[in-house]
Amino acid sequence: MMENAKRYHPYTMIFDFLGLIKGLFFAVLYLFVIQYNSESTFVLYGRYAFYAIVVIGMVYILLKWCFYKYYLDDTAFHIFSGIFVKKSQTIPFTKVQNVKRHTSIIHRFLRVTSIHFETGLSGEEARVAFGVVTKDTADRLEKQVGKNNDQEKSLDYSVDMKLEQKLEETFAPKENRRIHFTPTRKDTWKASFTSFSFLIIVPIIGTIYTNVKDVFGIGEHTEGFISTILNTWWSTFIVVLLLIVLSISLGIVYTFLKYGKYEIASDINKIYITKGLLEETTFSITKDRVQAIEINQPILKRMLGLAEVKLTCSGSFSLDSKESETNSLYPFLPIEQAYSILSDLLPEYEITESMEKLPKKSLVVRLCKPYWFWIIATGAFFYFQPPIFSMEISWWLFSIILLLFIVSLRVLDFINTRFVLNENMIQCKSGSFSTSLYISKREKIIEVSLSRSLLQRKVGLATIGTMNRATPVQFNGVNDIPMELAGDFLNWYVDRRKEVEIDADSIYFEKEERKIKN
Amino acid sequence: MDVNFPEKRIAKELINVSIISETISNLIWYAILIVLFVLHSYFSWTTWIAWGLIGITVISVIFTIWGYIKPFFIYKNWRYDVDKEFLQLKSGALKEEHQLVPMTKIQAVATNQGPILRRYNLYSLTIDTMGSSHIIPALHKDVAVELRNQIASYAKVKEVE
Repeated sequence: MMENAKRYHPYTMIFDFLGLIKGLFFAVLYLFVIQYNSESTFVLYGRYAFYAIVVIGMVYILLKWCFYKYYLDDTAFHIFSGIFVKKSQTIPFTKVQNVKRHTSIIHRFLRVTSIHFETGLSGEEARVAFGVVTKDTADRLEKQVGKNNDQEKSLDYSVDMKLEQKLEETFAPKENRRIHFTPTRKDTWKASFTSFSFLIIVPIIGTIYTNVKDVFGIGEHTEGFISTILNTWWSTFIVVLLLIVLSISLGIVYTFLKYGKYEIASDINKIYITKGLLEETTFSITKDRVQAIEINQPILKRMLGLAEVKLTCSGSFSLDSKESETNSLYPFLPIEQAYSILSDLLPEYEITESMEKLPKKSLVVRLCKPYWFWIIATGAFFYFQPPIFSMEISWWLFSIILLLFIVSLRVLDFINTRFVLNENMIQCKSGSFSTSLYISKREKIIEVSLSRSLLQRKVGLATIGTMNRATPVQFNGVNDIPMELAGDFLNWYVDRRKEVEIDADSIYFEKEERKIKN
Repeated sequence: MDVNFPEKRIAKELINVSIISETISNLIWYAILIVLFVLHSYFSWTTWIAWGLIGITVISVIFTIWGYIKPFFIYKNWRYDVDKEFLQLKSGALKEEHQLVPMTKIQAVATNQGPILRRYNLYSLTIDTMGSSHIIPALHKDVAVELRNQIASYAKVKEVE
């Protein structure tokens, strides 16, 4: 096994080295730029330590490249890692939930890319990552993983799938991609104003300021500088104007870089989402790995008739914020277009336009729930009596305004809440100012719950909840639906046996075991 | 098919077990409080600490009383059931919770026993799925072992994902 194993791409070393330098950037700046003429022992030893770290790091990178290997057989990845403590992992292709490709600027420059196979498992098996691969290798890897998954699927489904459909699936050319959406220039302009991207300047200035302050220690200088600017009204005006122009244009540039090039495409088996102008990210998922759909409309998007569509899938969570939004279709889709794209992408998910409203009594229950936040806030207002804008507003006025606000949130949520069960789909919507619509299939829901508080039991209402595979697990549900509907919901879930495909092997093993026992 | 609400009940000794463990933890907690009060009078700390301590004591007493009543409610309202396809759990007096877990999604099941449970020859059962963890607080040994084996056997059947 080990003999067939291949090393990773040699450029991996370059990337690891760049990572090392990036981590040491401020040390370099301090030791060799700022303290350029320093003779102090601290700086001297600091420099020695720096050289030692760089040398050790480089040796480590080289050894890592020599010893870390991988190979693929027909069904699984085999990964060999560790320099002193050896480790080998086997991750079957069937566990792969979705595939992510990320091409950073450096990747682009070196004409390579990176590819991640997310498994949705926990711990070290959460993903199989190839940090640097050539595009050809990436294509080959993805093809091999996909091919084996498809083969398995066609075996499993062979009983009840119509023959022609199966043939079509097996022999359809993979290149048969259909593009469903690419943003027009107008879409991107709209996006840059609805995404609040002009606020991007805040974290940028923040990071620059703290880093510069730490290294150069010029906090006091800047404060003096700022106070001279604020001395005259016209210089303040100009600076503020400049900042606004700068932040808006930065925001637009950011939006164009991030959302300017965007493509939602699909073929028979998979959905592909590609985005990014400089750094390109492609996310692909097999259609039957989509666990649920979520359509979110924050208040601003709701007013403009836009929506964000998210495909819930396991293994989509990532610590890297750049990658964490990959499971979202274009976040600024006009709502009508969003529905039509969804019905093209996932025809199995039928969206029902007319959904049931909640009965009046659930509004009563919702209004009767305790107002914990309001009670605590009122207590705080009473105790601290905060003067706001130096106006003498008494605490009870605050309290009343807050109460009215919370009540209106609850009323809005009641108005927006909708729920419907179809043949094998569940659809629920909730939210006060921003709304979110959740759609899932019965077979994809891994657990359901029903709960009733004392008050709910008195008036015959119940809260239902669903759980979907995702990373972390996703909970959805509807509050205060009539008990009869909640009962229907449980029965509906029990009927999932109609769609669920049981793994033939696992039944076989179970029966064998029972035989042995008896 | 209509969902049949679960009928099986947990071991009644749960009440004794909970009361014993409640008593032990209360003894420790009130001992700590007494030590704090003694330290307070000995070192004559400022008054607001005394008020804080009195407040904590009052809250503790309320929780203690609730802690002795709770086991009766828990026993009275806990129901579970298992068939070839689903595990059903129902509990809660004030807020009633009812869970329906498909057997195919159960990944691990285990019996656990602490010292107090051992005294009454009881086990608790933990059931882990892909996204959640459930616990049946107390079952007689034979019931627990049988249920564990039954769930383990049913849960071998997996869905095609």
